[in-house]
Amino acid sequence: MLAASKYAPVVLLFVIALAIPVLMIGIATIVGPRRLGVKKKVPFECGTEPIGDTRKRFSVRFFLVALLFIVFDVEAVFIFPWAVLFRQLGLFGFIEMAVFLFILILGLVYVWKKGALEWE
Amino acid sequence: MANVESLRYFLPELLLTALVLAVFLVDLGLKRKKVPIATLMVVGLLVSLYAVLKTPGAEGVTLFLGMVSLDPFSVFFKVIFIVTAVLVTLFSMESDEVEEKNFGEYMGFIAATTLGAVLLASSNHMLMAFLTLELVSVPCYVLAGYISRSRRSSEASLKYVIFGAASSGLMVYGISLLFGVTGSLSFEGIRDALSAGNPGEIIVLISLIFILAGLGYKIAVFPFHMWCPDVYEGAPTPITAFLSVGPKAAGFAVLVRMLHVAFSSSDGAAAYLTDISSVDWPFLVAIISAATMTIGNLLAINQSNIKRLLAYSSIAHAGYLLMGVVALSQLGTQALLFYFVVYLLMNLGAFLVVLNFRSQTRSEQIGDYTGLAWRSPIGAFVAVSMAIFLFSLTGIPPFGGFIGKVYLFASIIQGERFIWLAIVAIANSVISLYYYARIIKVMFLRGIDAEDLGGFVSSPTTITLLTILAVGTAVSGIFWGPIARWVSHSASLFFG
Amino acid sequence: MGEIVFIALAVGTTVGAGVVAFSKNIVYSAFALLLSFFCVAGLYVFLAADFVAATQVIVYIGGILVLILFGVMLTEKIEKVNISNQALKPFRAWILLIVSGGILIAAIVKTNWITKAPLPPTPTTGELGNAFLTRYLLPFEIASVLLLVALIGAIIAGRKEVRRK
Repeated sequence: MLAASKYAPVVLLFVIALAIPVLMIGIATIVGPRRLGVKKKVPFECGTEPIGDTRKRFSVRFFLVALLFIVFDVEAVFIFPWAVLFRQLGLFGFIEMAVFLFILILGLVYVWKKGALEWE
Repeated sequence: MANVESLRYFLPELLLTALVLAVFLVDLGLKRKKVPIATLMVVGLLVSLYAVLKTPGAEGVTLFLGMVSLDPFSVFFKVIFIVTAVLVTLFSMESDEVEEKNFGEYMGFIAATTLGAVLLASSNHMLMAFLTLELVSVPCYVLAGYISRSRRSSEASLKYVIFGAASSGLMVYGISLLFGVTGSLSFEGIRDALSAGNPGEIIVLISLIFILAGLGYKIAVFPFHMWCPDVYEGAPTPITAFLSVGPKAAGFAVLVRMLHVAFSSSDGAAAYLTDISSVDWPFLVAIISAATMTIGNLLAINQSNIKRLLAYSSIAHAGYLLMGVVALSQLGTQALLFYFVVYLLMNLGAFLVVLNFRSQTRSEQIGDYTGLAWRSPIGAFVAVSMAIFLFSLTGIPPFGGFIGKVYLFASIIQGERFIWLAIVAIANSVISLYYYARIIKVMFLRGIDAEDLGGFVSSPTTITLLTILAVGTAVSGIFWGPIARWVSHSASLFFG
Repeated sequence: MGEIVFIALAVGTTVGAGVVAFSKNIVYSAFALLLSFFCVAGLYVFLAADFVAATQVIVYIGGILVLILFGVMLTEKIEKVNISNQALKPFRAWILLIVSGGILIAAIVKTNWITKAPLPPTPTTGELGNAFLTRYLLPFEIASVLLLVALIGAIIAGRKEVRRK
């Protein structure tokens, strides 16, 4: 009941989001004609001829970017509840958050100066 | 105490935080790093050591609404951590395993670990204990893998991370189970809930086992010791020395505080605590202690790499140290603290010899120590220092390790319940004599005509540090009164 | 209705975790983790912890899962990795699983947990903000140091990998 009342829109969103791909694939399977040929089995790559293997290694830099993303993501999670209460918390809350952010901005400065944000 | 008033008592931690930030910032602006950053570290650490000793209210107050407590016990461990960090900083200057361009972050991580350890030793709340345990662990993961382009070092780091993540997970689960039955996360709150009603001893026992898994990993006791030899072998030598003392002491500090505050109640008799909620955790810890020292010592016998041997030796020592926890008395806690003072001197000393030997010969094999005493006058000095450290680690009089072990055995025998543990420990000391003596034998009795191996030299800093540590190890075995008074003051807190 | 949704979420969490552990294909494992994380977020909603649920989605699904997928994609021939650890003994693992799981379930069923009446689903974000800045101020500030160390540690570990290439 608690979930149903308050979270009904969220549940509805999920239902719609699930329904769309299920319907699209389902209708295509039922309605669409099935003509298999050599051309059909070739991997599709935006109309051009496929080049190389699909299972190619990603650059490790993606990983670094994802790592940095998680750290900043967690920071954002910490900041959000404070932002909601910003007006009530007043100056003291602001100072507390300033200390928190100061330490983290130092991290950002460090990352920046070390060139970890550059793709080179 | 409320948040703002607490700041006055929190100066050492604030200084350490400032040191962490300063080291990372200064690192950005410098090309030649080693000397300025090490100087900054030593000065910063000594200033915060001074602040630790001068901070008022050391008679026991809780700060930040009960998150941490400031008392002689936490002050004792803060001193241990900061002294260890100073020594490791100096060791790192002597080592060539860390490249100069990465030296800044390396020092920053040591400072951050020290900050975490200082907070962990004073944690009075499960949330704080977990958070600071992570603050101790995360920099150590990176430090263990710090030798660039070394597979062994990367492997050490990876093993450390995976073991660490698994045991942290278990620990959080244990804390959540405990919260579910006590409704509290502060150590006092858990004690009050456990002594008020019986919430089901099985679940308390299970949660305690899970929490012990998290802490047992940090102090490397059986069955959470497997990472230890690989990590100690792969990590840069100064970091191995650091890991074997700093984080281990931090784990013990929080273990003692948690077991003595959250899981024990004062029994009227001033010097003893009894365990509560009918969970017999002293028995559990006694078994872990016996298993840890036996496995550590037995596996040490066949090691040929000296860092691995010292890793197993440090596992065995964690087993001895747990005896002080098992005793659950003032004498037991005193013995534990006393042993940590001596352990710091002798273990760091032994690793300094390993470091010095490595920088001279590029070898960590025990066989290569052959005839060290006869290679040069300095070689003789280093060999004699090493012999002092190893005899002390074995527990042979007149060195500090002997007095430390006497205290530990006495506390167990005084408790009367776990006499068998004292017998196991004595048998283990005999085993340990075998493998420690093997190194001494190789250094002194072999290769007496070893001059063709070339001279052996040490830097003046190494010689000074070795002298201080060796003299400290020897003197603490003869004039142990001042240390005993200090630890007795520091341990009095949980009793009466 | 609530019961059914709860059971569905619990089953989803467990099945997802099971596939993570048992699937031979690591990409399937990663996507099963998605299911598991998502159902856990749903369980948080049941506990009236809306902010934690949102955090679960943002950090675990949006961040950590993506990281794991990157990890899979940048490892060469990950589907052919040989398990070098000879200590892998499924039979013993099953015994351990059954014994420890059985004890745990029995203990959980037998225990008198401290329970509270379900809260009305009010927004908890503000309360959390308040708790961060008052009751839990010290852990909050320490968390920033921990995040800083994690950030710099990630750079150090990651950069070394780049250099080795």
